[in-house]
Amino acid sequence: MRGFEFLRPGTLNEASALLATGDAAARPFAGGTGLMLMMKTGVFSPSRLVCLRQTEAEHRAITPTGDGGARIGALASLSQIEHDPLLCRLAPVIARTMTTLANVRVRNVARIGGTLAHGDPHMDMPPTLAALRASVVTSGTASRTVPVEALYAGYYETILQPGELISAVLLPDQTGWHSVYLKCTTRSADDWPALGVAVSVRMDGTTITDSRVIISAATEKLTRVAAAEAVLNGATAGLAAFTAAGEAARAVETIEDARGSAAYKTELVGVYVRRALQQATGAGGN
Amino acid sequence: MTEVRCDIAFTLNGAPVALNIGGHENIVDVLKRLGLSGARESCGQGLCGCCTVIIDGVAESGCLTLAQLVDGRSVQTIEGLDADGALSPVQQAFIDAGALQCGFCAPGFVLMSHQLLAANPDPSEAEIRDYLSGNLCRCATYPEIIKAVRLAASRMRAAQAA
Repeated sequence: MRGFEFLRPGTLNEASALLATGDAAARPFAGGTGLMLMMKTGVFSPSRLVCLRQTEAEHRAITPTGDGGARIGALASLSQIEHDPLLCRLAPVIARTMTTLANVRVRNVARIGGTLAHGDPHMDMPPTLAALRASVVTSGTASRTVPVEALYAGYYETILQPGELISAVLLPDQTGWHSVYLKCTTRSADDWPALGVAVSVRMDGTTITDSRVIISAATEKLTRVAAAEAVLNGATAGLAAFTAAGEAARAVETIEDARGSAAYKTELVGVYVRRALQQATGAGGN
Repeated sequence: MTEVRCDIAFTLNGAPVALNIGGHENIVDVLKRLGLSGARESCGQGLCGCCTVIIDGVAESGCLTLAQLVDGRSVQTIEGLDADGALSPVQQAFIDAGALQCGFCAPGFVLMSHQLLAANPDPSEAEIRDYLSGNLCRCATYPEIIKAVRLAASRMRAAQAA
């Protein structure tokens, strides 16, 4: 991992310019916890790293939005997000998920923008935020807002263009929604998950009026399962609807790796989607 | 590829240091060159905690921290804890509770325990387990480590009250 230049621009726009050079070995560097692993194992040899930490003062704030949601600066660390009073109140699923995400030191350093841009389908925050209907805002000349669920193009691939950087995450109002993230680790408790399931359900009495079902880790990329949501929307919260949603979610294409076969992960999908819905709503037993 | 080198200056356990480093080096590499062996690179992936260093008051995995990023900042290592000749309360509690066997992981556990107790002076066993879940002890001295943290916590609270 020798021989890369390490640049420290003062603004995201300057960083974008330094990255939009057509060189595929130039990368943005925020916390670095993901990139350092790739560099140390020789998976990735950068020619240029563009450090974003100098832009922290401007891009790490977590602030309420006028419509009951929150705006999270892309340079906010995962620890900062974990302990932020506004986010703990708005979406307690985030802090709950953090307690089993890597460890304290990694959370102290990793930034939410990098977590989302890394494209690793095994991570916990992308599915959690997708279920919360979050979007990312990108910087640069062609700034756009992209739902987290639409950010991924494939395994470790995003739709972000060279030089396009995530500047913030927008979390909408969560009133009436109940959210849970579950992960299944098949080797040791602290292993990368074989499956991540994030669900979010909006209730009117016992009727489900809207829902999000997101699968990750077992799939090539984070996947929203519209078929499972179609089963849920309009149904009465309970074991029958949750079991049917789990069955519908089994249609996602799972991939085999060291954490389990594709067939095994498909079984897990059915069970974990049902359990996540039970936990999110408190209905249908557990 | 040609190595890119740079000059850095930072505060190490309260004293200023300046040196020329390789751009790819992590802070553990640099600490070793400065004669400090308390932070050890073991897993190299941020999982085991043996390389724990405290940077501007925040615990980081030294193995994942590019040394050039500590330029201008303050780094604290295990060697700084007893610089005045007296063991810290956590170090003393680890000895009293027998919370180490080979000792390889102990600097990381001690530093992380200090961070925990600074944020939470009276942690439950569950909170201790949760906070230290990113530190691995291959001798499996975990029960004694939890006892040591609770012992240190009670002594530090007593000292605070006195």
